[in-house]
Amino acid sequence: MTRVAVVGLGALGARAARQLASTPGVTEIVLGEPDVHKRAAVAEVLGPIATDAEWSADDGLPVGVADCDAALLAGPAAAHVDQARRLIALRRPFVSTADARPTVQGLLDLGDDASQAGVSAVVGAAFSPGLSCALVRHGATWFDAVDEVHVAWLGTGGPACAHQHHRNFAGSALEWHDGAWIQRPSGSGRELCWFPDPVGSADCYRGDQCEPLLLQPALDGVSRITARMAGTRRDRMLARLPMLRPPHPEGAVGALRVEIRGRRSGATDTAVLGAIDRPAVAGAAVAALATVWAGEGRVNAPGVGGVAVQIEVLDFLTELARRGIRAAVFEGSSPVS
Amino acid sequence: MARTSMDSSGFAIMTLVRRALVAIGAAAIVAAVLRLRGSGGVPPRDGGWRELSGPDLK
Repeated sequence: MTRVAVVGLGALGARAARQLASTPGVTEIVLGEPDVHKRAAVAEVLGPIATDAEWSADDGLPVGVADCDAALLAGPAAAHVDQARRLIALRRPFVSTADARPTVQGLLDLGDDASQAGVSAVVGAAFSPGLSCALVRHGATWFDAVDEVHVAWLGTGGPACAHQHHRNFAGSALEWHDGAWIQRPSGSGRELCWFPDPVGSADCYRGDQCEPLLLQPALDGVSRITARMAGTRRDRMLARLPMLRPPHPEGAVGALRVEIRGRRSGATDTAVLGAIDRPAVAGAAVAALATVWAGEGRVNAPGVGGVAVQIEVLDFLTELARRGIRAAVFEGSSPVS
Repeated sequence: MARTSMDSSGFAIMTLVRRALVAIGAAAIVAAVLRLRGSGGVPPRDGGWRELSGPDLK
């Protein structure tokens, strides 16, 4: 019997609410969204399981969130840190879909407060980051020691995701390099990455992504973590300007590719995992499942961390596969990069 | 007509500005070429993607 709140009903939040509505054990979904029309529309689609809750502008949360077993923060990322502080004060577990690095860093910085309050939280629980972190964590179990992790991402979900993708090329990319954090220019480091079929190949560049930040605590002894995202020359050249036209309501098919290099059975080896799906759909499934698990107390420990740290990813990926979000592994003898 | 000292200094400034603009333009073109070009990757020569299932998820 789980009562959950979904805060933010954009492309990802609305789909996550629908996923939650079809999850056994979820008895009520409290919808939190300042736009009353959007809230009412989603409530109508979901039916009696949804509660069209009044929005508290002071808290930035729906009224009644204190009575929920867990909350999913799926609205604008800029508000997540303040919302998380209030949820920690209310001692409510929460999941954040934030994909902006400053926001994710701000949420991770709340780790001590969450631990003291006994609150478990999962941040970066969407497609990338989220499913990407689960794939890395699972692939890492195939190795005796992991040396390098390289993540690549293609596609965008809703408009907020497209804006973040645009901004990611304008900042600097954070990478874990030989035991230290380094900043590299976003848009540099072109690499042709091969995603699962039928997406195929795409040029990927460094971006201001969250995966290194979220994966590093989960991988003992790893020496390099990098993240790239697919982009065009126009994306890179215009990254520092406002978007010239509004993004589509939802992007097309997206893809993930994670490459893990390490040692197993006394030899160096490489594993490549991937996934394809519409980012908002797959991200919503990840966020919804993480929220249910947070509400059921299946998150690893009080504190704040990414999917790779907070969640037992084997069961998580199995359940995602049951929901239609399937991962793939590359099997081949030639180099893939 | 003889060029005055004022004309001469204005001409020198314009020449300087013109050369500076040409230098900046050339640098921008070189930077753009360096930023945009890049070497291609190596495509997989054999193998393929297989769905994770069964033993992979144990």
